[in-house]
Amino acid sequence: MTGQTASARSGAPARLPLQKILRALRMPLAILAALLVFAAFSPQVLTVGNLRNIALQASFLMIFSLAQCVVILTRGFDLSLGFTVSLVSVVSALAMAATGAVLPGLAAGLGVGLAVGLANGLLVGAVGLNPLVTTLGMGNILLALASTVSGGFPVSGLPAGFNAAFAQGTFLGLPAPIWSAALLLSLLGLVLHLTPLGRSWYILGANPRAGRAAGIRAVPVLVAAYAICSLLAAAGALLMTARTGSGEPNLGGNLTLESIAAAVVGGAKLSGGEGGISAAILGAVFITILSNGMNLVQVDGYLQQICLGLIILASLVLSRGARRR
Amino acid sequence: MLVTRGLTKTFGSATALQDVDFTLEAGEVHALLGENGAGKSTLINLICGTFPPSAGTIEMDGRPLGAGTVAAARAAGIAPVFQEFSLAPDLTVLENLFLGREKRQGLFLQKRAMRREAEELLAEIGFALPLDRLVSELSRAQKQMTEIAKALRLRPRILILDEPTASLTDGEARHLFRAIGLLRGKGVGILYVSHRMSEIRALSDRVTVLRGGRHIGTVETAATSDRALIEMMVGRPVEQLFPAIRSRPAEEVLRVEGLATADGAVEGASITLRRGEIVGLAGLVGCGRSELCRAVFGLDPLAAGEIALKGETLRRPSPNAMIRRGLCYFPGDRAAEGLALARPARENAGMAALRLPALSAGGTVLKTWREGAVVAAPFEDLGLRPMAPELPAGAFSGGNQQKVMLARGLLQDFDVYLFDEPTVGIDVGAKADVYRLMKRLVEGGAGVVVSTSELPELIHLADRIYVMHAGRVVTEIAGKGTGEAEILSHYFGE
Repeated sequence: MTGQTASARSGAPARLPLQKILRALRMPLAILAALLVFAAFSPQVLTVGNLRNIALQASFLMIFSLAQCVVILTRGFDLSLGFTVSLVSVVSALAMAATGAVLPGLAAGLGVGLAVGLANGLLVGAVGLNPLVTTLGMGNILLALASTVSGGFPVSGLPAGFNAAFAQGTFLGLPAPIWSAALLLSLLGLVLHLTPLGRSWYILGANPRAGRAAGIRAVPVLVAAYAICSLLAAAGALLMTARTGSGEPNLGGNLTLESIAAAVVGGAKLSGGEGGISAAILGAVFITILSNGMNLVQVDGYLQQICLGLIILASLVLSRGARRR
Repeated sequence: MLVTRGLTKTFGSATALQDVDFTLEAGEVHALLGENGAGKSTLINLICGTFPPSAGTIEMDGRPLGAGTVAAARAAGIAPVFQEFSLAPDLTVLENLFLGREKRQGLFLQKRAMRREAEELLAEIGFALPLDRLVSELSRAQKQMTEIAKALRLRPRILILDEPTASLTDGEARHLFRAIGLLRGKGVGILYVSHRMSEIRALSDRVTVLRGGRHIGTVETAATSDRALIEMMVGRPVEQLFPAIRSRPAEEVLRVEGLATADGAVEGASITLRRGEIVGLAGLVGCGRSELCRAVFGLDPLAAGEIALKGETLRRPSPNAMIRRGLCYFPGDRAAEGLALARPARENAGMAALRLPALSAGGTVLKTWREGAVVAAPFEDLGLRPMAPELPAGAFSGGNQQKVMLARGLLQDFDVYLFDEPTVGIDVGAKADVYRLMKRLVEGGAGVVVSTSELPELIHLADRIYVMHAGRVVTEIAGKGTGEAEILSHYFGE
């Protein structure tokens, strides 16, 4: 230990600024590089219309990767995120179709998110179960519920106002999903950096035993992390439901993997205690550009999935290397 | 046997070791002394080939030693034992001793021959280790002994021991010292790093002192006083390591009655603590004194007994409740339980005070903008070096990590402070800073409990001492002025 710390300590003051700058610039440069590479193959990539499209797509993914970041911060995981999205979509759509009003749908959707989050949080935080297996099991339950409740078909008959307000609506020229993502990101930014709760997530993620010995109560802190994660997933699910105009039992299919990919590529550390808003934003933009670019260049769908998997693995390897150094 | 000339190592623009001439003779125990960050670890790492030197040479028997690789050093017979364990936790002790160097005949392992050799080796050095136990089930001390045995199995010509007694009990340490004596008799050169002056005096023939990466001097141990060694190490005269504490015992602030823990580590311990006094907890490692502190703070569940803090009786303490009621606990293992090493020092200092008015408004908004100024005061009081609150806690040296952890005790006024092994693995300068902190707390009217393996700390700091053995308090004796022998005589339960 002493050897490494001694070298790290004596070397740190000189190297830190450069390292910091490089680390901060790594993602923006990767994003730029990805854009340019795809632009070289397809002239459509750098059109205003496509860039708008990317921004819109990324704003959805940002909400989900932000949700994932919150639990990853605490050394956790949410493998049920995609299925939470499906269930929220179906339940909120049913509520709206039944009442003909938007508000009951929002309440039902957020209620489902909160319930899922509390269940995950209590199982992981209070009972002490492994987050991977817990949320994997929870995801399976949610998937089955979503299929059963909807009968396996899209739920239609949503009030027109829902789509008009949350999908078509614009303010200062920007569409509603982008505003929603910006609002949620700033809100969570405040929680992370300006509340004891956010600080506790960082400390417990970096060293749970030290957090406990400093008087941080792990159970409420972890339950809050999972609850906020699922609430964010529910908010994202409502926005996506507004966009498709129907409740979709398969809406979340790929989102678990994509949200994890975006968080990890953006810089959230699976060992906990590192990551934040910027990881969610940069990771989501990068992943969105990648899938948008691969679509435009007409890469086969399965090949796209392989690429997504490889990118997760590559960023894990890279972050390992960075820690060793 | 081993000679270094002008050895220099730089990391980036920082110089960790500069122009060091060092010799190690066959059959000598050569102690390496220096504060944290003095270059001891760098020198050791250069000798055992972890990284190559930036300048200078290392020679063994007059021939240059390889190209600064671990393999070359190992081939030359240099065996290092680091504080960090290189053992495989899911293998047995026996399997670890032979890990990567198994005896085999064709495809088959010669298990019986390996067992015989291991038993002979352990008998020779006097270590009692359960060969078939998994390493993950061993105590820290047993792991340390396994690590040493593993190094000795290769019959090294040079053995490097980096604070080998840090986690050993006195009995285990005696075995180690005897083994070191045997090896010395056989002509092995031993490089010994320790912060414990009594060990250095008992074991070593010569001492080399490093400071700030430079070679300050090499002296015959017998011809040099402790005081002179400390002065070489810190570079200034040390008037006194232990400050004069004016303790004024007042009313009782903590009473522990018949406390037993669910895991059986403490089986009925009763102690009292008054304001304005320091109470020592003495005993061998594993006697239950660390566990008593943990249980009082609420980290380990209780099976029986009660705790009265400022007159309020608590049967189910929790860390959160104890901190709010004015009891502060400093864990003995700062890396495992004291600090979030990846987070900045600033956050580590503040993590027990997230709901304190100075840091938060109503417990809901963290005054991040004021935090830097709030933690700067305790850091300056404790003499944190470097004074860089934004650096991750893990980037500081051992002594300064300890200060980052202790800072939490200065952010708010506690009535009771529990210190568990407060000076493990920290250098003399930082120790003095820790003692000064205790003086300040006690003279300010707090009660302080110190659980420690260091006899000098008990003798110089404590007003009263409870000696524990096998989970029980066996006796209470006076502190300051009591002889080491008097305290030790109670360590085995009499």
